[in-house]
Amino acid sequence: MAVYIDINRCIGCRSCEVACQRVHGGHGHINVHYVREYAAVPVLCHHCQEAGCTMVCFTGALYKEGERTAFDVEKCTGCGLCALACPFGVVWTDKIAHKCDLCQGREAGPACIATCPANALSDDFDLATRRARERTVRAAAVGGKR
Amino acid sequence: MTKVLVPTVCPYCGAGCGFYVAAERERAIGIEYMSDHPVSQGALCAKGNAALEILYHPDRLTSPLKRKGEGWARISWPEALDLVAKGLGQARKKHGPRSLAFLSSSKCSNEDNYLMQKLARLLGSPHIDNCARLCHAPSVVGLNKTLGAAGMTNPIPDIASSRCIFIIGSNLAENHPVISRWIHRAKDRGATVIVADPRATPTSWMADVFLQLEPGTDVALLNGMAQVIINEGLIDREYIGLKTKGFEALALEVKDFTPQRTAEITGIAPEDIVRAARAYATSPASAVLYSMGITQHSTGTDNVQAISNLALICGQMGRPGTGVMPLRGQNNVQGACDMGALAEFYPGYKRASDPATLKFFRAAWKAEDLPPGPGLTATEMIEAAGSGEIRAMYIMGEDPANSDPCSEHARRSLESLDFLVVQDIFMTATAQLADVVLPGAVWAEKEGSYTNTERRVQWSHKAIEPPGEARSDREIICDVARSLGLQFDYPDAASVLEEINRTVPQYGGVLRERLEGSSLVWPCPTADHPGTPILHSMGFSLAEGRASIVPVPFSPAAEAASGDHPFILTTGRLAVHHNAGSMTRRSPSLISREPDLYVEMNREDAAALDVEDGDEVRVATVRGETAAYARLTDRLKKGVVFMPIHFPGTNILTTDATDPEARIPEFKVCACNVFRRD
Repeated sequence: MAVYIDINRCIGCRSCEVACQRVHGGHGHINVHYVREYAAVPVLCHHCQEAGCTMVCFTGALYKEGERTAFDVEKCTGCGLCALACPFGVVWTDKIAHKCDLCQGREAGPACIATCPANALSDDFDLATRRARERTVRAAAVGGKR
Repeated sequence: MTKVLVPTVCPYCGAGCGFYVAAERERAIGIEYMSDHPVSQGALCAKGNAALEILYHPDRLTSPLKRKGEGWARISWPEALDLVAKGLGQARKKHGPRSLAFLSSSKCSNEDNYLMQKLARLLGSPHIDNCARLCHAPSVVGLNKTLGAAGMTNPIPDIASSRCIFIIGSNLAENHPVISRWIHRAKDRGATVIVADPRATPTSWMADVFLQLEPGTDVALLNGMAQVIINEGLIDREYIGLKTKGFEALALEVKDFTPQRTAEITGIAPEDIVRAARAYATSPASAVLYSMGITQHSTGTDNVQAISNLALICGQMGRPGTGVMPLRGQNNVQGACDMGALAEFYPGYKRASDPATLKFFRAAWKAEDLPPGPGLTATEMIEAAGSGEIRAMYIMGEDPANSDPCSEHARRSLESLDFLVVQDIFMTATAQLADVVLPGAVWAEKEGSYTNTERRVQWSHKAIEPPGEARSDREIICDVARSLGLQFDYPDAASVLEEINRTVPQYGGVLRERLEGSSLVWPCPTADHPGTPILHSMGFSLAEGRASIVPVPFSPAAEAASGDHPFILTTGRLAVHHNAGSMTRRSPSLISREPDLYVEMNREDAAALDVEDGDEVRVATVRGETAAYARLTDRLKKGVVFMPIHFPGTNILTTDATDPEARIPEFKVCACNVFRRD
C-alpha cells in the first residue's frame, strides 16, 4: 500500500501537510509543491519496491516490511545517506531520518487521505485513472461537448 | 482517566465540518476525523487540522482586565461586571439607550447571539449587528427581496448532483476546501464548471470555462449572460410564467448587454461569455455558488440580485443540483443572522420596523417596551462612535479595528467612545482600545448550536474547561445582563435553545434532543418536521408565491484607477488563514506557511516598476499606506493587484464606500499605487 495522488483534484490547500505534522509530533512527511500558478502536487514517500533508501542504510534502520518502507528510529544514525539515495526528495534528516510511515498504528489509516478535502489522495492505485476513464465515457456519451 | 471523543463543529469557516476533540484528564490532546459527517465526510482543511493550536496559546485571555494607564490590570469578575454595568448604565442614563451599540459575533453559537441581541434590545438599543455586515449583508437583503429567503437554497452535498456549476466571486478551494470534493464528484459525473474571478486561483483549476473579469464588473457579466440566454431562447418560459414576476423589465434592461459590449466592460472574450451562458441555461441542473467576490462591492446587492435573475429565468431553482448558494465565511454567520443579531431584523428575520414584530417580542420577552429598528449597522456604529452619537459599546468576538475598511479611521472612532467593553479570547487590536476586557471561551470550551452555510444546525459539545478565569460567552452575557438589572436565567445553552424554539419559527422543531448525533436543516417549524434541505421547491414565500426578477443596471465600482493610483487593489483569503487572523496568526502550523503580508502583482506591471519577486514594497491609497513584499504572478491581469485580508496592513488601504442598501464596504475594489521601498 502507498498513498496515491490524483493531480487533477489537488487544490493545494496544504491540509495534508498540517494533518501529517499533527499526527507526527510536528514533523510532517508530505509536502505540497506548486507548479507556478497552475497546479499543486503533494509529494511523499512512494514506498518503492526496490527502495534506494533501504539499500544504502547500513544500520538497517530503513527496511522493507511487505509493501511498506519501514523505519526503525532506534537504529538511525542520522547519517543522511537515505536522503541522498531517494530520487524523490521525500526522505530527509535533521538529527534522524524523517519519512512517511503510512501512519502506522493509526487505525483509520493515513491521516492525509482521511483529511484531504478534495479527495485527491487515496490508497486506491487505480482511482485517478478510473475517474479519468469515467469522465471520458461521459464526455463521449454527450457528444464530447462541454 | 480514559480518552473521550467529544463531537464538535469546526470553529473556522461556514462549511460546518465536524470533528472529535480527543480529551484526557480535562485536556484536549488530539483531533479525530468524523467520517460520517454529512458535509465533510471526515475531511478537514489545514485550519481545521490546526484548530487545537489556539486552545493553550500563551496569549489566551485568562482573567478580566481593566485599563490602567498605558497597561492592563487583572481584576475579579465582580469588579469587571460592576465596571461594565456602570459603563453601559451611565451612557444609557445620560445619553439614552440609543447611545449604546452592540456587536455580536458570527464566531459564537446561536444561543450566545440570541442572548446578545436580546440584551441589546431589552436595554432599549436597536443598534445590534454582527460581521455578516462585512461579508454577506447583500445576500440577506438581495435574496430576501428576490427569493424571499436568505441562505443557500440547496445543501452542499447536493452540488454533486449538479450538471453545471457556476462559481462567481468565490475561491472556495482555499476558503471552503471541503466543498471541492462535491464539485469534483459532479465533474466526474460530467458536470461543466464555470469560474468567474479577477484572479486565477485553485478554484479556477477546476474550471472548464474560466472568465477572468475586471474587478467590479460582475453585474455586466451576469446581465450579458442573461442577454445571451434570452436572445437565444434558452429561458425556461414555463417557470418564468408560473413562478416569477418582472421578467419583461429584465429583458429590457439587459437588451443592450450584447456579448461584444459585455466583453468591453468585463475584459472577457465574447465567445466565453456565450459559452458560459449556454452551458448554464441548457444543463438539466445548474447551480450558482458565490461568495465575497460578489457581495463586497458598492453594488453588492445588485450583484446578488443579478445572480437570482439568472437562476430564475433559467428555472434553475427548487430541484436537486440547482439553486443559488452564498458561501458564508464564519462558522456561525448564518446562525448569527437567523438569531436577529442584525440591525434590521429581530430573530427569525422579523423586520425590526414592523409593529407586529415588536408586539410579538414584547409578549415573548415580557418586555414593556422594545426599540423599533433598523438600528445602526456594524459599519455605521463605528461611524457613529466617531461622531459621538454612540457613547458606549459592547463588542463580543469581533475585531473591527482590524477587519473594517479604512481601519485607521475605525480605530480612532472606537477610541473616542466613553466606554468600550470587549469580550474575546485574545487581546485583539479592538480589545487594545477597550476599558474592560472580558475573557471568553472557544468552541471546545462551551456547548451550543451552530448553523452552517447550508442552514444545517449542529450541536457542538464541550470538551474542556476554559483557561483560568475565562468563561463561556453565555455565562458572561447573562452576568452582564443581571448586573444591569435584567432577568437572564439561562443555566445552560439548551435552555436558550428552548426559547429560540418558541420565538424563531424556522427553528421551531430544532430541539436539543434532535441534535444529538444528528443535524437539522432549517426551516424546521415543528418537532416532527424533517427539515428543509432544498428551498423554493413549492414556490416562494413572497406575494403570490412568485419570486421577483429585479432588473439591475450596471454601475462601476466607487473607485477607478487614476494617474496617482494606477492599480486596482482587490483583496481575498488564503487557505491557511482565516479572516482578521487573530486565531490563525497565532497558530504555529498555519502562520509558518504564510507568515507575512504580501501583494501579488502581474509580472509586467512589476517589471515596469523595477520590482522583483520578494522585494519589499509600499502599497498606498488615499487612506493610508502599508508595507508588504511583492509576489509576482500570472494569476492577475495587468493593472490589478491582490492582497490577503488576514494581516492588519491590508484594511488600512481599503475604501469605506458602501452598498447603499446592505451597507457592506467595497473591500474588493480600490485604487492604489505600488512603490519600491528604497
